Amino acid sequence: MTHGNVNEAPAYVSPASRMSVSSLKLGRILTWIGVALLAVAISAFILLPFYWMLKSSFQTNREILAVPPIWIPSSLNWEGYQRALTMIPFMRYLANSLLVAGVTMVVSAILASMAGYVLARYAFPGATIILAAILFSQLIPAITRVFPVYFLIKDLGLINTYAGAIVAYVSFSLPYAILMLQGYFRTSYPIELEDAALIDGCTWFTVFLRIVLPISIPGIVAIATFTFLGAWNDFLWSSLLLYQGQMKTLQVGLRDFIGEFGGLQRANAFMAACVMATIPALMLFRLAQQSMVRGISTGAVKG
Amino acid sequence: MTRQRNIFCYLMVAPSLVLVMILGIYPMIDSLRLSMLQYDLMRIPTEGTPFVGFANFMTIFADPRFVQSLVNTFLFALIAVASVLFLGLLIAQVLNLEFGGRNFLRSLVLIPWVIPPVVASAIWMWVYQPERSPINQVLRSLGLIDSNIKFLTDATTTLGPISIPMLAVSSVRIWGGLPFVTVMILAGLQSIPKDVYEAAEIDGASVIDRFWHVTIPMLRPVLAILVTLLFIGGIGHFEVNYVMTGGGPNNLTNILAVMAYQQAFTLFRFDLAAAISSVILIVTGLIAALYIRDRLRHDSW
Repeated sequence: MTHGNVNEAPAYVSPASRMSVSSLKLGRILTWIGVALLAVAISAFILLPFYWMLKSSFQTNREILAVPPIWIPSSLNWEGYQRALTMIPFMRYLANSLLVAGVTMVVSAILASMAGYVLARYAFPGATIILAAILFSQLIPAITRVFPVYFLIKDLGLINTYAGAIVAYVSFSLPYAILMLQGYFRTSYPIELEDAALIDGCTWFTVFLRIVLPISIPGIVAIATFTFLGAWNDFLWSSLLLYQGQMKTLQVGLRDFIGEFGGLQRANAFMAACVMATIPALMLFRLAQQSMVRGISTGAVKG
Repeated sequence: MTRQRNIFCYLMVAPSLVLVMILGIYPMIDSLRLSMLQYDLMRIPTEGTPFVGFANFMTIFADPRFVQSLVNTFLFALIAVASVLFLGLLIAQVLNLEFGGRNFLRSLVLIPWVIPPVVASAIWMWVYQPERSPINQVLRSLGLIDSNIKFLTDATTTLGPISIPMLAVSSVRIWGGLPFVTVMILAGLQSIPKDVYEAAEIDGASVIDRFWHVTIPMLRPVLAILVTLLFIGGIGHFEVNYVMTGGGPNNLTNILAVMAYQQAFTLFRFDLAAAISSVILIVTGLIAALYIRDRLRHDSW
């Protein structure tokens, strides 16, 4: 975004300039009250489901079924958590999710760094068309390629294997990771650093490995976090590629509860499972929040 | 030297490019091919998979449920994109002000980001459970409603294609989309130099004047990107609708992605499923192509 078009902002004729000072003040106070009310309403919208999940997870099965609902648990009750761990193979699902998302994150970070680096630094023939193809596959929704990918993984005999899901997640996370990383490589450090190393007789690959990668760790970590969250949160692909009993990821496994939800008998265990399914993502997010927000922000401002 | 360097570049790009081509680009094309075959699992043993041209498209467009889902898909996307932008602009404006507790509010807005869509759908289903819904309780105690709103099952209170379940499911999609949009707009706001606002204030511009005549024009590039990304994402959206309602009641919340998934994996009509997802591909592909052309023209990667 350029700052040059500041002066082109349309001129406005403000009625406020003709008002008296006191009415100007009154208007300002009213605006502030309006802003405060809106802020409260929006905060309630954002917080209500989060709070409702937390409070339900700590209620007894009796209390949770009360009509009208009880807003504050009478005591911190861990029954829901205990039941969540025993009613479904929660730990197994958790391990599956961690494994699939973790390996996806590492492989995708390595491949995307390599591709992102040369796309950012060298104008080799075909670079633009490669970027366009990558951007295209990033933009188009996943549902448009579900069926052929499902058949492909099936033909390879990789349905209900970690390998099948990881290959799929790596491919689907690469476009975003490459696009973000090439933006990062382009702007985050001076190119002279590499030139100096090349003159010293390093090969291109050693420059990448020894100089570029170490100083780019913060950016790579931020984008790797996105990749992890993407695979961790995903439901569509794991519902197709890892649907069998012990192989389910957490997002698919949570639906073990939904079948029973009509009876409402397991609501506290279900909410406890939801809380636990959120914790790993929450911890990772806390760690990388700063750099993630900065990562998207540079994209926004550059755009 | 240049040749060696190019070889180095191709080697570095190759692993990613091969994966993106095989599992990203090729399946889209293959999906179009699949949509022109008869691919009915029941009939494959006897008839195979003959080429049928546009017959699958004729079949789906003759199905009123498909037409309804097509309309719903656009409505959902429009409702979600418009609301999320409106709320995102408001929140970002507030978060851009200087006040105590601003950092706390900023992290609060990010909460939906860490909640996986399936979990978010599950929580909201619980929040929407009519007898035990906190929303119904509050509305009742304020005297605004007499009977509980059946958020996800009321098929009778409708305004054209817009129904209560549609609005209820949209709210969840809006809830999930807010953090990303707010962060993007906030970043855009922070790139507007302060002196522009100061100049406007000296000229006596009110808060609203400043919003329309300074903020919006300055944010136009960010907003354009956001509208494109959100709209494409909205057209292809799957998870929240699938988990919360599976398209019901009476098809009122059905959308193309959910319908395609069900055609394939519950009815085993992969040909009709491919045709439905091809419709998504054509719509989003056109928007994406225009967007990429625009970025190439401005050379802004």
